[in-house]
Amino acid sequence: MVATESKKQIGVRGEDLACAELERQGMQVLERNWRCRLGEIDIVAAEAAPTGLTLVFCEVKCRGLGFGHPLEAITYTKMRTLRQLAALWMREHRMRASSIRLDAIGVVLQPGREPSLTHVRAVG
Amino acid sequence: MASACAWSVALVGLEGRIVEVEADIGAGLPRTVLVGLPDSALYQSRDRCKAAVSNSGHEWPISLLTINLSPATLPKAGSHYDLAIVAAVLAAQRVFGAEQLRRTVLLGELGLDGRLRPVRGILPATLAAQQAGFPRVIVPLRQAGEAKLVEGIDVFGIASITQLVAFLQGVPLPPIEPVEVMGERVGQHANRRLDLADVVGQVEAKWACEVAAAGRHHMLFHGPPGVGKTMLAERVPGLLPDLEVRDALEVSAVHSLAGFNLADELITRPPYSDPHHSASVASIVGGGQRMARPGAISCAHKGVLFLDEAPEFQPAVIEALRTPLESGMITLGRSEVHARFPARFQLILAANPCPCGQAATPGGHCQCSPMVVRRYAEKISGPIRDRIDINQAFLPLRKAYLKAALQRAESSAVVAERVREARDRQDRRLAGSGWQTNGEVSGTYLRRHLPLPDGLQAVDEAVDRGRLSARGVDKVLRLAWTIADLAGRDVPGRDELAIALAMRRGEQPGAVKREAIGP
Repeated sequence: MVATESKKQIGVRGEDLACAELERQGMQVLERNWRCRLGEIDIVAAEAAPTGLTLVFCEVKCRGLGFGHPLEAITYTKMRTLRQLAALWMREHRMRASSIRLDAIGVVLQPGREPSLTHVRAVG
Repeated sequence: MASACAWSVALVGLEGRIVEVEADIGAGLPRTVLVGLPDSALYQSRDRCKAAVSNSGHEWPISLLTINLSPATLPKAGSHYDLAIVAAVLAAQRVFGAEQLRRTVLLGELGLDGRLRPVRGILPATLAAQQAGFPRVIVPLRQAGEAKLVEGIDVFGIASITQLVAFLQGVPLPPIEPVEVMGERVGQHANRRLDLADVVGQVEAKWACEVAAAGRHHMLFHGPPGVGKTMLAERVPGLLPDLEVRDALEVSAVHSLAGFNLADELITRPPYSDPHHSASVASIVGGGQRMARPGAISCAHKGVLFLDEAPEFQPAVIEALRTPLESGMITLGRSEVHARFPARFQLILAANPCPCGQAATPGGHCQCSPMVVRRYAEKISGPIRDRIDINQAFLPLRKAYLKAALQRAESSAVVAERVREARDRQDRRLAGSGWQTNGEVSGTYLRRHLPLPDGLQAVDEAVDRGRLSARGVDKVLRLAWTIADLAGRDVPGRDELAIALAMRRGEQPGAVKREAIGP
């Protein structure tokens, strides 16, 4: 149980860091950990672009080093699910946007070091 | 974001084409994409390179990595692109300057620990790099000797990725323990010292071998078992002169591609290939699924191909020899690409007259029915027989002859010297014609550019009687020239022509002398 708990904590910490990063880039976080029968969206954010509103659906993966880079664990199947989830989220919230984007953020946590973030835009 | 390129070589047949290996580190989820028509060995290169780079203390890019092998339409096969791929990826990450790779061709397969392993075809690939104007090639350390056989290009042998990086960064190479390689084919060309003097008797057959060696003529040995057909055939390469440098390079390149270890020296002796009669067509002429590899006929290029027990071969195997016998090369079509290999071999066939081996042998009792004997003989078809210059019958030795023959057997060295002299005559006569020996000269050249021998009416008669084809006439003329070359005569005369005719027709021993003495 302890291990599961700490895994969950790691995940939450990673998502906190990811949100901070998105906000630093000028995006507004609309929702976190939105769930439905298909799965979960880690972060939904909105970015104001000159052409209109862009909805950003973001998958966050956080781990310590030793099992490969967290981004390597984000597979193309996962991104395909995220695309379906994005459609569901928009229907449920009756949201319209001029464009949507799928991002991925990898967070590496190493004891005694600053966490390092890798933000990859428009992956799916 | 970042990209870099390195150079390698794709081998299509013996011909090498320069391949540009580009690596691009772009935005996207971590993934490595390999494009440019790779085969499965090459596609797996991705995973080998990734492990090898990580285990050498470098990083594999954590983003979308695209590796492109250009020209993209040329199918690429094999594992030797590993080194170029790794170099391009490391250069894209600025581990060393990308300009270091600009004028360098890289060849070699990687182990998961980052060590470099030998690959096939280093010699032809290095040759292609040199012809394309590259001043430098980097190869697996163990194969540096083979690559150095090519002149006009700097060869560097390295043992691992660590050494490659140090070399390209210009720092001293770190030492590394040598790679143990199992299951390598050792060069078949190891000079086997077989002497003609070991063969008892068969003086006439030995002389036929001498003529065949001098003019590179094809032979068919037929006779009962145990009379020395195989022994003599094995000794023919020993009578041939050393290969010229250009030929040696070509022969070595074919052997390199076939996977023989050249042991750091060019093959300078004519090769000898004696496939077993269970051989498949692909193993003889060359084959492979998408990319063709040289077969036995190409491994016998500029040397001797000996098919022992020829009637036991699948008919398709023997028939497949027809075109290469004429053209001296083989073009293999595969789904992706046509490969061309040189195959100017000298053919020696050996056959028994019938399944029991005693038919038409004085003192032998053949148990086979006439039909069986005929079927056996028919296994070597007419078109193949027509391409044979010398038909040599072997007779069993008599006891008295055995004793007498023991004393005056000539050694290979003596015969080889006569062959060399005859070759010198041919060289002088054929200088500038593009041919080296009588056996290769075209019929047109024989009849138009060389003086015709006396007594051609004997040949005409044979044609009229249907005993000689048009090709046969050329074969007889070529033989006559070789016999004259061996005898030290400038032009073949009536005698040489008569002997040639008899050798071509394969008359019984004794008949040769009778005709030669005749008017």
